[in-house]
Amino acid sequence: MRAECDVLIVGAGPSGAVAAQEFARSDMKVVCLEQGDWPDYGRARAGHPDYELVARKHWAWNPNERRNVGDYAVDDTESDISALMYNGVGGSTVMYAAQWERFQPSDFRTRTLDGVGDDWPFDYWDLEPYYEEVERQFAVSGLAGDPALPSMTPPPLPPFPLNKVGRRGAEALNKLGWHWWPGTNAIATADYGPLRACDQRAACPFGCPTGAKASVDRTHWRPLAGKDVRLVVRATVEQVVLDERGRARGVVYADENGARHRIEAGVVVLCANALGTPRILFNSADGSGIANSSGMVGRRLMTHPFGNAIGIFDEDLESWRGPLGQYLHSLEFYETDRSRGFVRGAKWNLIPSGAPLSMMLTTMWGDQPIWGESFTRLLRERLGHSVIWGVICEDLPDADNRVTLDGRPDEHGIPGVRIQYRASDNTRAMMAWHIDRVSEVLDAMGAKQKILNPLIPGIGWHLMGTAVMGRDPEHTVVDPDGQCHDVPNLYIFDSSVFPTSSGTNPVATIAANALRCARSLVARRRDLAAAS
Amino acid sequence: MTGHEMTEPAPDPAAGRITADARERLARVADTLIPAGAGLPSASTAGVHTGLLDQVARARPDLVPPLLDALDALGDASDLAAVERLAAEAKQAYEALTLVVAGAYVMSPQVTATLRYAFHETEVVDPRDTLDAVAEGILDQVKARGPLYRVPPDAPSGHGS
Repeated sequence: MRAECDVLIVGAGPSGAVAAQEFARSDMKVVCLEQGDWPDYGRARAGHPDYELVARKHWAWNPNERRNVGDYAVDDTESDISALMYNGVGGSTVMYAAQWERFQPSDFRTRTLDGVGDDWPFDYWDLEPYYEEVERQFAVSGLAGDPALPSMTPPPLPPFPLNKVGRRGAEALNKLGWHWWPGTNAIATADYGPLRACDQRAACPFGCPTGAKASVDRTHWRPLAGKDVRLVVRATVEQVVLDERGRARGVVYADENGARHRIEAGVVVLCANALGTPRILFNSADGSGIANSSGMVGRRLMTHPFGNAIGIFDEDLESWRGPLGQYLHSLEFYETDRSRGFVRGAKWNLIPSGAPLSMMLTTMWGDQPIWGESFTRLLRERLGHSVIWGVICEDLPDADNRVTLDGRPDEHGIPGVRIQYRASDNTRAMMAWHIDRVSEVLDAMGAKQKILNPLIPGIGWHLMGTAVMGRDPEHTVVDPDGQCHDVPNLYIFDSSVFPTSSGTNPVATIAANALRCARSLVARRRDLAAAS
Repeated sequence: MTGHEMTEPAPDPAAGRITADARERLARVADTLIPAGAGLPSASTAGVHTGLLDQVARARPDLVPPLLDALDALGDASDLAAVERLAAEAKQAYEALTLVVAGAYVMSPQVTATLRYAFHETEVVDPRDTLDAVAEGILDQVKARGPLYRVPPDAPSGHGS
């Protein structure tokens, strides 16, 4: 049967969006299947009195709580950390904080430099031109010259204002003699393409109502869908179908009513994230699984353990306003120093503390009882007077941290997933050490009260590693360009392929690597066409 | 506020299911949860059982049934110990009750004005803030230290730190 498209992409998140745009520019016929729907920004209520009430339901981070169209069950009862994601057009960029970080050169060489993890099959400088290109696609704002990174072309937009919060953090780090740099964010600081300049509602992870944040539903899919790419929403891929030669023939997906449909494709590209991609691979071949001769599908799950340190101040810092987003980051203690008792490191970022319910109805603001006489006092102390330092620890791969299929099928008869994840001793030591240092920064900032939260169980935004890339088919799932070793026309472009996790936010690298892989696939196709 | 992708939520009949008696009982327990203090009004003075409750029901009609469950479970009790028992025995109802009370409270214009929480005011970014600070030297000592990153041994030539 003649294929209905040249390329079928599964998942409309950042890797799928970047790849779709690249394929469309190469005149390929592209179909993308997305299990969720378009984000409903009518429910992005920042600027309205009911903002947080609505956000807590419609922009809940955990799919098990949100249960929106496209959300599938994630059993995390055997995990130290809950897996967070957004299932819909835009993927998790709809809800990400948009902190834009290139991975460090050392992140690509952890085995060589520190004897842990695995080296990537390419290095920082191989990826550099792709970083530069996607930074223009994602309206990145920031300041060139950060000494924590190799020199680079300036991002397309200038950095965010430091405001009172950022300035106080910067001055404290200067006092300590520690590194900081104005935050780099995928948030427009001026009108840019389809995006508008940010108006600082501190709502980035709860649906940006302004249209300032570079989520790929806005930056990529709106221009692409219906014109260059056929995007099908509410389409949950059940499995990749192989032909008698073991090549991908297309996929079977369930529509919103559960009816099954089949689409034939020349090439299938999975961009369904580090839980969704192994879910599809395991469920393919009618549940026998595919692309797993290495036994590595689903293994090496990394989640980026996250902690924070909250500071409360006497002064009104207007910290309900600003980007969320980051005012600044510090990579002072990012690189390995074994005298600290662990290897690798963590990134810190300073953000405003946000809206009132987030600091009153939570377990992250200490153990003081909030009800009764203390409510009004705590509300006054915290709202506008507080800041948050986030700490992201590098999470080293461990084959026992894994994703498997959950035996209980969802409403369309497609299994959800179970995650088994334990934070390592190295991670816990790293987090404890870094939280202590960030606590020192809060002291230098003049905080009158500190609340320290090492390793927050409810925050696992950065999912990586479950279909590792490498040159050796015995130990890896895909080659350096995302091509499955076992199924030559099946590709994986999402963060499943990451050999290690870095200790910084992954979207820049997800996007850059997807562009690199897509361009490689286009080039191979041209070579094949020229040879035939 | 012009041009943003917002729509007003449709009116919802959920608030109509909350009786006057339930509102009175909510007022009592809400004042237990949030009494006046720190220059801020009590929950009932702010109106969490009247107009603010209607706004909550419009925004989150799903909260109304578990709120009514919570009020039924509490009966005439409105002390903190009773609310704590509710937390242990009926978590969903407790969470709805506390979210409604706190959520309504911080919607009060009186409360937000006292807190100087101007959530409705936007402030478009002015990148000159950071650029001016940099020009004044705020980053000078960071720059003076030079590169921080480690260079792998197989890095292309010319990328040493």
